Amino acid sequence: MVIPYVVVIILFSLGIYTVISKKNLIKMVIGFTIVESSLILLLILIGYKPSGTAPILDRQYEIVVDPIPQALALTTIIIGGSVTAVMLALVIKIYKRYGTLNVDELRKLRG
Amino acid sequence: MEAAVWVIILPLLTAFFLGISKLYFKKILFPLVTGSAIIYLYLLISVSTNSYPPKVYSVGGWGLLGINLMVDPFAAMFLLIIAILFLPVILFSLKYIKIDKHDYFILTYLMIGGIAGMVLTADLFNLYVFLEVTSLSSCALVAIKKTDKAIEGAFKYLIMSTLGSFFILLATILTYHLAGTLNMAEIALEFKELPFKLKSILMALFVFGYALKIGLIPLHAWLPDAYEDSPIPYNVLSSGLVMKAAVYALIRVLYIIFGIDFLSESGMLAIGVFWGVITFIIAHLLAFQQTNLNRLLAYSSIAQIAYITIGLFVGTDGGLIGGSFHILNHAIMKGTLFLVIGIFYYSLSAINIKDIKGLGYQFPIISFTFVVASLSIVGLPPFNGFITKWLIIEAALEAGFGYAAFFILVGTFLSLTYYLKVIVTLYTKTEKKIVIKDPGLSLRLPTIFLGSLCIVFGIVPSLPLSLINKIPQFLLDHSEYIRILLGG
Repeated sequence: MVIPYVVVIILFSLGIYTVISKKNLIKMVIGFTIVESSLILLLILIGYKPSGTAPILDRQYEIVVDPIPQALALTTIIIGGSVTAVMLALVIKIYKRYGTLNVDELRKLRG
Repeated sequence: MEAAVWVIILPLLTAFFLGISKLYFKKILFPLVTGSAIIYLYLLISVSTNSYPPKVYSVGGWGLLGINLMVDPFAAMFLLIIAILFLPVILFSLKYIKIDKHDYFILTYLMIGGIAGMVLTADLFNLYVFLEVTSLSSCALVAIKKTDKAIEGAFKYLIMSTLGSFFILLATILTYHLAGTLNMAEIALEFKELPFKLKSILMALFVFGYALKIGLIPLHAWLPDAYEDSPIPYNVLSSGLVMKAAVYALIRVLYIIFGIDFLSESGMLAIGVFWGVITFIIAHLLAFQQTNLNRLLAYSSIAQIAYITIGLFVGTDGGLIGGSFHILNHAIMKGTLFLVIGIFYYSLSAINIKDIKGLGYQFPIISFTFVVASLSIVGLPPFNGFITKWLIIEAALEAGFGYAAFFILVGTFLSLTYYLKVIVTLYTKTEKKIVIKDPGLSLRLPTIFLGSLCIVFGIVPSLPLSLINKIPQFLLDHSEYIRILLGG
């Protein structure tokens, strides 16, 4: 049960690294989506119980997974989707104006 | 019972109807916007005056299982700030905004809905959702002019604020994992038994995430760029409400979930005060070099929010009162300053300091309002800024942060230099003939209203203090808050 958490940590740090180090705006946006996915994965992991079924309140299902993280994960997906959409809209605007996506060249063009 | 829920719902509903009106009936923009703003004013005042003793509203009647809204004096004070700022800003922007009027108002109402949600909620994940609603619509508002600077500023803002949100979300998820609940009161009870190290890590995540949103130096780089070319009425709401809402959320999380004992034990209070001192000194020095008025006011906002941070992190009754009162005062003062700049920009598109030369004689009353507000923000008596700075200095001295009190005095002189520079330019006579567009009464009145509040709250500080004095009772000692939220 440790390996999934390690994957979450790797994904999270990878995403943050991408955001900080990459010069291309699209790659930065991809970095953000990676971080977001890692957090969704973490939410699902928290709610998981071995051999648990869907959270239906009935006698024949004794072990159920925690339903709250699933609801939170859905909300997080929606928020992440809208954030990505706004970011990409701004990237499109920037590309149309300057014809480049490279952060360094953008700085040069602005002088 | 329903009033508190409507504080969140009404702006969201208005945004929705504005979207419909954009598609089908463009004419009803004015009655819709003003009507809803006036009803909202009534709602806010009625909710915030009913805040003592604090009340809990369970959304959907789910009790502790569901989302709870809590109106305590701290929340009531914040609702009061929305009430003071919102109607003047809406009236101002009805005339000021020319292009994309509908989009502007939709986003503004969404933003206000998000802020109201952040203020009222007592659920940790709900806090994150409303935080995202606020910052997303705020980013879109920065970019609404579609100029080069605006779009770049918005992109920077979005990147920094999303980075902050991820850390807040991570902390929220880990909190849920450790406490097994999202209700702030239950988390606070669970957290009492948690090991010290785990709590420290969680707190560091929360603080880092919110500090990015607040713009404490060195995490401030996005802020002046975001202010530079955004619509000026939005700047009023941004510096008055959006940044403050992040401060509010941080304080709520720290004081309610972690509790004052843990904060002083882990040294967070000392770190907060030290961070605030560093922030306002650097921000004042940077503000002095600015030639663009929007950027100057942005750096000044960073500095003022650092004062608020100091006040709130001192960790005594006096500090909390001074800090919360400064949230209110700074919203009014900075609102006035931004609205005056807005009038100058509207009349002759003046945005740099050298453009406003000699305008003091063209706009005598408006310029006088600017002088009042800037002297107030510097902290001279008899204006409201003096009162709160005095309270914060007093609290810092009492709690043993003598160096903070000393540097606040130094900061006062630093801020005096750059505000004086602007005022002197304003009243320098020029030979040049200035052609101005008349701003009209609908731009002047909101500005003068906010400016006069600077004087009113300076002379009669007991007016808001009667509410603010009750804040520490439910914030400093979280057991009272927890008891009420759990329904005991």
